[in-house]
Amino acid sequence: MMASLGKVLCGTFFTNTSLRVLRRYPMCAARRYLSQSKIVNNLNLQTCRVPVAGSGRWYSDTTAASRLSVIEVQTRVLKVCNAYDKVTADKLSLESHFINDLGLDSLDHVEVIMAIEDEFGFEIPDEDAEKLHRPKDIVQYVCDREDIYD
Amino acid sequence: MAAPVTRAEVLKIYKTMLRESSKFSFYNYRMYAVRRVKDAFREQKAVSDTSEIQQHLLEAHRFLDIIKRQAIVGDLYKFDKLVIEVENNKKH
Repeated sequence: MMASLGKVLCGTFFTNTSLRVLRRYPMCAARRYLSQSKIVNNLNLQTCRVPVAGSGRWYSDTTAASRLSVIEVQTRVLKVCNAYDKVTADKLSLESHFINDLGLDSLDHVEVIMAIEDEFGFEIPDEDAEKLHRPKDIVQYVCDREDIYD
Repeated sequence: MAAPVTRAEVLKIYKTMLRESSKFSFYNYRMYAVRRVKDAFREQKAVSDTSEIQQHLLEAHRFLDIIKRQAIVGDLYKFDKLVIEVENNKKH
């Protein structure tokens, strides 16, 4: 039992408390670890403080330059739609209807919407998603959401 | 008898299942789960009988629970990424 306790302690991080416990209840197995763990014991934890980042303020990084433009949203939406394997590239335009023109079914539509969510990093609720029939609608939705006007 | 299943309900669980499936940390399980969910829904696309749809929906919920649970269990036994994942770290 003692040997197994020593084994467990060996695998855990030695704190001052655990060392004190070991000193108070010396056991042959544990004592061996005590001598091994001297380095850990001598470590001055005060000096190991994690440096605090920055002294000033953090400003928002959404400056005018880093914001998306409508054109950029359009190309990204079309890129995502194009990447979906059931969409044929020559039929795809901003105006093409997913179900009528591109021949997708509602399950495919869900997958396209999920790909858009992944691309722009936000979630589109189901009730909004079912209204997005064309790439144009998606562009409009993303622009509204990201506050992009032209 | 329970109310008929709406289209939105089916699409919702489809989306949830795909989302949960893509949480598997192990590449092979993730790919399998996503593929399996897609195939299963497409297989039953033509079903129009109300009670049968109800049945399938219940089954889907049961599998959703399994996916959720197994994704968590898989997280406990994480493994290095496969070689094929390193190149394009985006999910497929």
